[in-house]
Amino acid sequence: MSVEALNAPAAETSGPLSRSGVLHRLARDKVAAVAALVLTLIALSAVFAPVVAPYDPYLTDLTKVMQPPSAEHWFGTDNTGRDILSRVIYGTRNTLMLGLIGVVIGGLLGGLLGILAAYYPRADGWIMRLVDVMLAFPAILIGLAVAAVAGAGLGAVVIALVVATVPDVARVARGAAVGVMGQEFMEAGRAVGVSDRTLIWRYLTLNCISTIFVFLTLRFGQIILIGSALGFLGMGAQPPTAELGMMAAQGRDFLFMAPHIATIPSCAIFVIVLAANLLGDALRDVLDPRLQT
Amino acid sequence: MGRQIVHRLLVSFPALLGVLFLCFCLLQVVPADPAMIIAGPEAKAETIAAIRNELGLDRPIPIQFAEYIGRVLRGDLGRSIISNKMVSEELALTIGPTVELMLGAMLIAVPCGLALGTFAAVRRGRLSDRIIMAISVAGVSMPVFFIGLILIQYVGFKWGLLPFTGRTGPIWDGGLPSLVLPALTLGLVLIGPIARLTRTAVLEVLGADFVRTARAKGLRETVVIIHHALRNALIPVVTLIGLQAAFLLGGAVVTETMFSWPGVGRLAVGAIVSSDFPTAQGAIMILAIAFLTINLLVDVLYVYLDPRVQRS
Repeated sequence: MSVEALNAPAAETSGPLSRSGVLHRLARDKVAAVAALVLTLIALSAVFAPVVAPYDPYLTDLTKVMQPPSAEHWFGTDNTGRDILSRVIYGTRNTLMLGLIGVVIGGLLGGLLGILAAYYPRADGWIMRLVDVMLAFPAILIGLAVAAVAGAGLGAVVIALVVATVPDVARVARGAAVGVMGQEFMEAGRAVGVSDRTLIWRYLTLNCISTIFVFLTLRFGQIILIGSALGFLGMGAQPPTAELGMMAAQGRDFLFMAPHIATIPSCAIFVIVLAANLLGDALRDVLDPRLQT
Repeated sequence: MGRQIVHRLLVSFPALLGVLFLCFCLLQVVPADPAMIIAGPEAKAETIAAIRNELGLDRPIPIQFAEYIGRVLRGDLGRSIISNKMVSEELALTIGPTVELMLGAMLIAVPCGLALGTFAAVRRGRLSDRIIMAISVAGVSMPVFFIGLILIQYVGFKWGLLPFTGRTGPIWDGGLPSLVLPALTLGLVLIGPIARLTRTAVLEVLGADFVRTARAKGLRETVVIIHHALRNALIPVVTLIGLQAAFLLGGAVVTETMFSWPGVGRLAVGAIVSSDFPTAQGAIMILAIAFLTINLLVDVLYVYLDPRVQRS
């Protein structure tokens, strides 16, 4: 049997991602469809923020301070007269970006660690010890620690989010990879002399990728919550940069005079995370029901 | 069971060492020289050198780390740069309030989560089940500070029912009213995940043979559900509570900051904002150790709840 022929079954069963009709099945789930629509709209408005935002998010106007929502300013204005809708749009951009960077980098690193741990039993103990130590630091603490050393800023939040993602992904990836390692095609690949690199990438990784992907989708909402909590604590974006968590914290000082300044950014976070969670749940049900808790 | 616990303690030792090492590194990589900060901007070079020598900053890193562990074991975490008080003394004052807040939150979240989850499982597929699950998904997606803001705005400010800044004292000394809103904020976030998992776990157990047997021998439904189903469903739920410890801790930091609750989290945030490195490092270390301890407790509880773990 040639190496190509051996690859075929691996790719065929390469996981539920390649199954046809995933989108179709997702679309039948009404809640998931609405969540996907909402997330797409939010993502689009974040990407095209300069076009969509009605005002300059940094333009202060002291004649229009703390105005409640109106036809002119849909979400009202903040304590320096900036348009909150525009700031929420730009803030969403930063918040989503933070979440994406955290999930993508953390997912890559964690996936790599988990798969290597499963493939090289000798490294397994060491990698998993490292993961245990990482797990001993809750994300918020990492954020605080990085901010303590390097100063508060978006960088501190990104590092915290990556560190928060890596250990969990590593565990899930290792679990999935250990399962794949036991399959016959791995043994067959080894027997015909497929190189380690090919075995790890084409045989192992491609078979674990859907599990990792579903897990990351489920984590995305949590990562955004952690990021915005760090922003709220003042460890993330610094004023005047718009970031939803930080905007909520700034609005807190004016909570009794103009509650909308704090509640609208908080609400925006809630909507993003809710949509992400609902979509993640639906994706999991379709793609990888094993992850269900 | 004793052996199990000793084993678990040994396993968490590397993690503890890692935590200590990272905390130690925190002080090493700080951009500012602690000796210069303590000496002040106009200090002479000799003074700085003397302070460096006194702090042991001129010795090799491994020796500094060993000395650091020695100091931590003696409870010496250095002095706050801002207040010049011993960090350990400041921390000692804040640990109580933080534990109080977390216990208060758990006291709200665990019974509510268990009750809602069990109820939803029993009423599976009906409207009440769907409503409970919708609320729990919404709860999982809610930032802690959003709940806090709403509670402060309405319960605290508009209706004036409860205090919402600071802590008036220990619970036994009239401090209960000031604890309610912070604990509720932190607790409400945890109800969702607990209810969700309880529902899944109870549903699984409800299909088991022993539940059918219990029903067949004519036990009342409440007895079946509480004694047979819920007790067995508790095992995954306890694990979840352990997993939520990180969440609980992070939430506590946010909640303490919001409600000016004098706990470890607020101390850490304040210290970072004012570049008080020794205090920040001490507070972060205590929080990390608290996290390890919660996980350890959960593991012990796990052994107690599920005797099968002992045998394996």
